[in-house]
Amino acid sequence: MQRPLKLFLTLIPLLAAAGWLTQTHADEYLLAVVCFAGINMILAVSLNLTNGFTGLFSLGHPAFMAIGGYATALLTFSLDKKPLFLPDLPAWMVPLHLPFFPALLVGGLLAALTAMVLGACVLRLKGHYLAVATMGFLIIVQVLLNNSEAITRGPLGLNGLEDYTNAWWVFGWALVTIYVCWKIKFSSLGRALLAMREDEMAAGALGVNLFYYRNFALTLGAFFAGIAGGLWAHLITAVTPGSFSLIMSFTIVVMVVVGGTGSITGSCLAAIFFTVIVEAFRPLEENFGIYGVGEIVTSLILISILVFRPGGIFGSHEPGVILGSNHTSKSVNPNSQGANP
Amino acid sequence: MKKSLITLAALVLAVFLAAPGFCAEPIKIGALYSLTGGMSSIDTPSLRGAQLAVKLINENGGLLDGRKIELISADAKTDQKAAAIGAKKLLSKGVIAGIGHSDPAFVLPSAPRFQKKGIPFVTSGATLPTLPKMIGDCMFMVPFGDDDQSFAIADYSFKVLKVKNFAVWTDNSMDFTKTLSRFYKQRAKELGMNLVLEDFFMMGDKDFSAQIARLKAADPKPDCVFVSSIPNEAGLTTKQIRENGLTLPIVSGDGFDTELIVSVPGKELANDVYFSTHTYRADSRPEVLEFVENYKKEYGVPPENAFAPLGYDAIALIADAITRAGSADPADLKASLAKTNGFQAVTGTISYTRPSGVPVKGVSIISVKKGNYTVEEIWFPETN
Repeated sequence: MQRPLKLFLTLIPLLAAAGWLTQTHADEYLLAVVCFAGINMILAVSLNLTNGFTGLFSLGHPAFMAIGGYATALLTFSLDKKPLFLPDLPAWMVPLHLPFFPALLVGGLLAALTAMVLGACVLRLKGHYLAVATMGFLIIVQVLLNNSEAITRGPLGLNGLEDYTNAWWVFGWALVTIYVCWKIKFSSLGRALLAMREDEMAAGALGVNLFYYRNFALTLGAFFAGIAGGLWAHLITAVTPGSFSLIMSFTIVVMVVVGGTGSITGSCLAAIFFTVIVEAFRPLEENFGIYGVGEIVTSLILISILVFRPGGIFGSHEPGVILGSNHTSKSVNPNSQGANP
Repeated sequence: MKKSLITLAALVLAVFLAAPGFCAEPIKIGALYSLTGGMSSIDTPSLRGAQLAVKLINENGGLLDGRKIELISADAKTDQKAAAIGAKKLLSKGVIAGIGHSDPAFVLPSAPRFQKKGIPFVTSGATLPTLPKMIGDCMFMVPFGDDDQSFAIADYSFKVLKVKNFAVWTDNSMDFTKTLSRFYKQRAKELGMNLVLEDFFMMGDKDFSAQIARLKAADPKPDCVFVSSIPNEAGLTTKQIRENGLTLPIVSGDGFDTELIVSVPGKELANDVYFSTHTYRADSRPEVLEFVENYKKEYGVPPENAFAPLGYDAIALIADAITRAGSADPADLKASLAKTNGFQAVTGTISYTRPSGVPVKGVSIISVKKGNYTVEEIWFPETN
C-alpha cells in the first residue's frame, strides 16, 4: 500500500478519537473552535483545487458557500416554523424538507451547478480578469439574497436553524475533501491541471482541454464550498447575506497562499493555524483589554511569510514525511520538480 | 538565575490568573460587544457603560449580601462567526446572563445559544422589534423597537408639524434604515398623510444633489422629509438640504442622535431638524445627570453616544431583577426580568408588559433649532 494512503487510513481513527474526545469532554467553546477549524480546512483545500492546482484566481468561494448555506438552511428548516418565519415563501417551496445529510448534498450540488454555468461564461477570461469576474459574482449573489425577501428574508437572513453541525460532520467532510483533492492531485487529471498552471500553451499543445479542465476545477471547488456553507450555517444557526463577504474570501485565499498554492498539507495546516491563532490571543485581549492584537499578529505572520517564503510554507509540494520513500520518482507524482533525483 | 526568574514569572502569572478565585463567589455576567471592526464606535461605549455599572454596584457592596458582579467580555469582532464563538465561550464560563450587541445581525447568531440553555440575554442596542419573538423567552431588549420610534416621529410630524405631504429618503444598504422607513410610511398612511416622493441612497454616499433636485421638483410640495440614515449620512444630508435653500423640516429616528447634525452643517444651518430617540440626550432627569457625571469621572470624557447609557442600563436591569428575585439562578432571573415593571433606567422607564416582549418605553422627540437640542415631548406607545 502507498504510504500516503496508509497515513490517511491511520488519520481516520485518530480523528475519530479526537472527535469523540472533543464531543464528549471539551466545552462548547472549544468544540466550536474545532468545528470552525474543520470548516476552514474544507474551504482552504477546495479553494486550493481551483486557485492552487489550476492557477485560476477565484474570489467567489463565499458566493458558493452562500448558495450551499441558504439551500441547506431552507431545506432543513422545520415545517412548523416555516409559515411563521417565511410567510411569503412560494407555495412549491413550503413542503420541501430534507434531513441534514441530503440537504447538504443538494446545497453542494446547487453550488456546483451554479459554478458550472458561471464557469461557462467567465472561464474565457484569464488572470486578474477572472478575479474581478468572481468578485462580481459574489456581489450579484449578495444583492440577490438581499432582495429576494420572500425566500431569504432579505438583510435579516434566516435564523433559528437546528444546530446539526458537530465535530463528526465537519471532520467527515474534511476527510472526504482531502481524499478527493489528494486523489486528483496525484492522477493524470491533477497533472493536467498543474501543467495548465505552469504553461497553458504547452499544456494545450499536449492535448489538455483547457476550458473543460478549468471548469471542472471550479465546479468541484464550488461543490465543497457549498457543503462548507451548509455546515457553517448549521454551526452558527443563522445565515445573513453579510455572512459570506469579500473579507471571508480573502481570509480563505490567505490560507491557501500561506500554506502553499498547490499543497494540500499546507492548506490544512494553514486553516488550523489561522483559526486557532485568533482564538489563542483571546485571553490576552480579554484580560488586558487590548482588543485586536490577534488580528495584528496574524497580519504580521502573513507579511513575514510573504517576505521570507513567497511560495507559502510548503510551495506546491506535500512534505516528504507523508509521501514516503518514492517521492523522488518522477513517474509517480508531479511533486518531484524541486526534489533531488 | 535565569531559571529562577522564569519560575518567579510563572508564579506571578499563576497568582494573577487565580486571583479572582479567592473572592466570595461572584455573579458572572457575559458581555458580547464588537470591540474591533465597523461596529466598534457604537459597541465600545456600550461596554464602557456596562463596566461602569458593574463598578458602581460592586463599590456599593455588590448584590445578594455582598456577592460581586464579574463582567466577562468577549469580542464579537463585527463578525457573526466570532459572535457565535464568543457566546459559546461565555456560556462555558458559567455566566448567569448575557448582554450585548447593537445590531440584530449579531444578536441572531449569539442569543439562541443562551436561549437553548435557558440563560437570559439582554440586548442593549439592537432595536428590531421582532427579536424576542424570533429568539424566545430568554431574549430581552433594553431599547424601544424600531416601530415605536418611527410611530413616535410620525405622530409628531402629523400632530405638531401639521404635515400633509411628506417625502422619504432611505439608506437602502441597511436593514435598520429600511425597517425605520417602512414603519414611518405605515403610520403616516394610517394618519392620512400623503407620500409624494420616495428616494434612496447608500451608506457612504457623499453627494445628495440628485435626491435634492427631485425633492425640489416634487409636486405637491412636501411639508417634511423623513431621512432614514445612520449618523454619518445624517450630518451630510442635513448640510446639503439646507445649503440648497430648502427649509422644510427634516425628521428622522435615532440615527440622527449625533453631534454630527450640528457639527457638519454648522449651527446656522442645523435648523428645523426633529428626531425620535432614547430619552437621554438633553434630558435633565436625575438618573441621566448622575450617569453623565459618573461616566466623566471614570473615563474623563462625556458619554460618546446613547449606546453608553444603554449598556449601563442592561447591567442595571439585570441587577434589579436579581435583587427582586433574591437569587442569581438563571431561571429565577428570567422570570424576574419578565416581570420588570416601571424600572427607572437612564434611557427611560422599562416595563415588559406587551406580548411582543419589546419594552414599553418612552421615546424622546428632540428638536434642533440653530444648533440647540431641545426635548419637545416624550411619546409613549399604546400598551396593548
